[in-house]
Amino acid sequence: MTRATRCDVVLIGVGGQGVLTIGEILLDAAAAGGVEAMFSPTKGMAQRGGFVKAELRLGAGDAGPRIRVGGADAVVAMERSEALKGLAFAKPGGAFVLYDSVWEPTGVMLGVDEYPTRERVLEAIAATGARPILLDPALCPTVGGKPASPNVFTLGALVAATVLSELIGADAVEKTIAARWPRAADANLVAFRSGEKALDGGRA
Amino acid sequence: MRRIVTGNQAVALGALRSGVRVVTGYPGTPSTGVVEHLLTMELPGRHVEWSTNEKVAFEIAAGAAWAGQRALTTMKMSGVNVAYDALISIAYSGTNGGLVILVVDDPGVSAGMAEQDSRGFALLSDLPMLEPSSVAEAYEFVVAAFEVSERARTPVFLRLTTAVALTSACIEVSDEVAPPTLAPGEPPGGETRAGESGGAALGRGVILERDIARYTKAGSKICLDQHRDLIERLNVAGGVIRAMGLNDLRLAGKPGGVGAVAVGSTYAYLTEALAVTGLKPEQVSILKAVATTPFPREEAETLLRHCGTVLVLEELEPFFERELWIAARRIQSDARIVGKLDGTLSRLGEYGVDEVVEGLSVALQDTPVRREGPKAVLASANREPKERGAVCEAAPRPITVCAGAGRGGEHDLKGEPSSTVLPLADLTGREDASRGASPTPAPRPITVCAGVGRPPEDDLKGERTASVLPSALRDTQGRRGDVEPAPRPITVCAGCPHRGTYMAIEAAIKKAGLSKDAVMVTGDIGCTILGMNPPFELIWNEVSMGSSVSLAQGYVHAGIKTPVIATIGDSTFFHAGMPGLLNAVQRRVPLTLVVMDNGWTAMTGMQVNPGTDDAFQAGGRRIDLARILPALGADRFDIVDPYDLPAMTTVLADGLREPGVKVVLARRECAIQARRHGAAAAVAFDAAKCVLCKRCIKVTGCPALGCSASDGAEQLGQNRVPGPSGSAGRERITVDAALCNGCGLCATACPTHALGCPPNVSCEQLGSKPARVGFNKGRGGQP
Repeated sequence: MTRATRCDVVLIGVGGQGVLTIGEILLDAAAAGGVEAMFSPTKGMAQRGGFVKAELRLGAGDAGPRIRVGGADAVVAMERSEALKGLAFAKPGGAFVLYDSVWEPTGVMLGVDEYPTRERVLEAIAATGARPILLDPALCPTVGGKPASPNVFTLGALVAATVLSELIGADAVEKTIAARWPRAADANLVAFRSGEKALDGGRA
Repeated sequence: MRRIVTGNQAVALGALRSGVRVVTGYPGTPSTGVVEHLLTMELPGRHVEWSTNEKVAFEIAAGAAWAGQRALTTMKMSGVNVAYDALISIAYSGTNGGLVILVVDDPGVSAGMAEQDSRGFALLSDLPMLEPSSVAEAYEFVVAAFEVSERARTPVFLRLTTAVALTSACIEVSDEVAPPTLAPGEPPGGETRAGESGGAALGRGVILERDIARYTKAGSKICLDQHRDLIERLNVAGGVIRAMGLNDLRLAGKPGGVGAVAVGSTYAYLTEALAVTGLKPEQVSILKAVATTPFPREEAETLLRHCGTVLVLEELEPFFERELWIAARRIQSDARIVGKLDGTLSRLGEYGVDEVVEGLSVALQDTPVRREGPKAVLASANREPKERGAVCEAAPRPITVCAGAGRGGEHDLKGEPSSTVLPLADLTGREDASRGASPTPAPRPITVCAGVGRPPEDDLKGERTASVLPSALRDTQGRRGDVEPAPRPITVCAGCPHRGTYMAIEAAIKKAGLSKDAVMVTGDIGCTILGMNPPFELIWNEVSMGSSVSLAQGYVHAGIKTPVIATIGDSTFFHAGMPGLLNAVQRRVPLTLVVMDNGWTAMTGMQVNPGTDDAFQAGGRRIDLARILPALGADRFDIVDPYDLPAMTTVLADGLREPGVKVVLARRECAIQARRHGAAAAVAFDAAKCVLCKRCIKVTGCPALGCSASDGAEQLGQNRVPGPSGSAGRERITVDAALCNGCGLCATACPTHALGCPPNVSCEQLGSKPARVGFNKGRGGQP
């Protein structure tokens, strides 16, 4: 069997969700395992509740940081409406992980703008030929009475659902998580493993 | 009426002839004479000033032009370096009223500073540039520049050189001086009104246009669209210039002969040089290039097709010459191009007759010229190089007398590749030996100039192709399927003090009996610009660091009758806002400046600036805006807490009614940083009192507020709830306790007191916290 050597991941969400953290953890884990990695996040106004996008390229060699339209082995979206901005990158046969949280913009709350339904978004994902992987926020566990980090939860599902599991390996990712949050390692590892498990039940 | 004027005075008079309303500048030889001349005149209804610096000067002119008036700003070449931050930004937005930037370059450096060629700035910013060749043309071209500016809606550069700017000549000057304001679309003599009928009178011909896509730079979509529009405006300007016939092409002689491109003031020496060389004007094709950006492609190509050799005469950098090489390649012309790139002419110094003669001599060496009089001798291929060299050294070179000490002497140019100049005697009276032998390029058809604008070409094509879309465009345009993401305009963070400032400005405008559509609120760079977005839609524009204060002055000088407010952050004010404020104070310009001081350079990720608390200065020291601002001399200075809505509204409303410069320091530490210093308490929410009017969301747009129909809606934080589709039940307001810092601004908007003060904070405190000088490092909601 041929081991995967490459994986292009597009990460999408809203500033504050920890979308970029997913990429940083994978970047660290890849580097620790000797996998070539490139991470290119959006910055600036993203941290103000706006649209956030990042591109992570593993094993891409000397290529540039941008992933081609239709070229992502995995798209990860952490907000339902913003997920639509990732459709262009979805690749037939690739994974599209949707953590289906809803951050309604003001215009939607005031009834001025439309907000897409879960069904419409899943249909649109399916139309790209990518595998939709739905993570219901309700599946994100609570640890010690506090909600676990949804981004780490999503990361667990992402690793389990893609070639990242063999390219980087879940163990390496767990080590990176533990090193990143020494005082909250347990809670975050619970979140990560819940994500891995959720995949079994959450695959759409 | 014929008058003796300098080139600079001609520009001044041409501007008056054009109906200019606002003229600004910063002195700098050789450009000083324009504003200086205007200041000697009585000019009711117009505003003329020396500004604090060239950037401020430009921004004031640009503000007036955005407001629909004609405006001129003047500077020497070095001044463009100072103004450029604002200039490139305004270039991307375009203009409404005519906006002309006069820059005087100083080849030969009669007055010191870098011998730079400002034409590079026109290329860099895709702005049209006109280069009058004489004092008379300086007068005419100001009028033309305003016309191009308004027809193409772009700022236009007018570039003089020392030789034109400081030379006096007797020229025809019209007695007519147009009244200020000739902007297109002006209601004849009437007041422009804001918004719907019945809106406030803004002033005669004043335009207030709310369009953040055009007047701000906050967002990649906005900026990419502006870049496309910029390119298109230059194309339009090219068409306008061509239709005006500014660049004059005269083909002469038989095909295959000599042609010359004379850029700007070099044209003035061409006739003289032709006489010296014994050539007649009808023997040489001449392109008088006085509008050089955009490159006059059709004229250049026509010249290349007609001529065997083209001499390019331009002082300083070979900008035109490079374009000519590209044009030659494009049409596969094998015409020889003589100029700087082949080493004939120098990039240094001012040109005079000698340089033109030198260039002509080289151009004539291998090119047949049809002669009618005594036959000129042309260099033949078999001529000994040594002999040529010897003759060259012997050639007399009269030195042209020029005002100023800096005319480039021979020694200045010695380092450049020496040219092969034929002695003048050799150029006249010898047989055309090479004529029969030299290959004559076949005549090429002359392309007729197309109409206005270049054909749609490669410039834009790429941007519309999905495969090469920049990522920012892909995000919004490369989607598949018909389901659209909800618009997500960026707003300020939960608890951000700027929210209080926006709300207070809105409230003050209302209190003053005005509508938002009648009050210009200029914006600046950084988080403070987010007031342009819903729900505030308060800030109209964003140009460059520190521009808000100067732009506001431009609107005032444009004749706007309603109050003008400028907003700026602390770091931005330190960066480049102070010169603008100094200018306003010095000129007693009625406006309100709100300095939104959150103590950090926040947008970029919390960097330290001069106003940041001492504790973070790493051995440096804090410079307190509360001490700097009053020292700058405003007529009124207040420090307010933006969480204290009533107090801030009162201060601002008073300011809108008062004359003079009012400065308000809206001071409260960035909510993100304040949270890091200490825990914050969320506002209390009493669902029983909520009538779901959503005023809290409408007024504040706070990200901590939600509206959901889901069960368990209070469990928010990073776990945002599934939206309406996944659940049933009554909609309800939610407060995200993880985001809310209890600033209480939403509570001021709640008519039923469903939203109230956080635990342990009295409601009295919420609405009436005392203004404070230092930063509040404790809980956001508590004094």
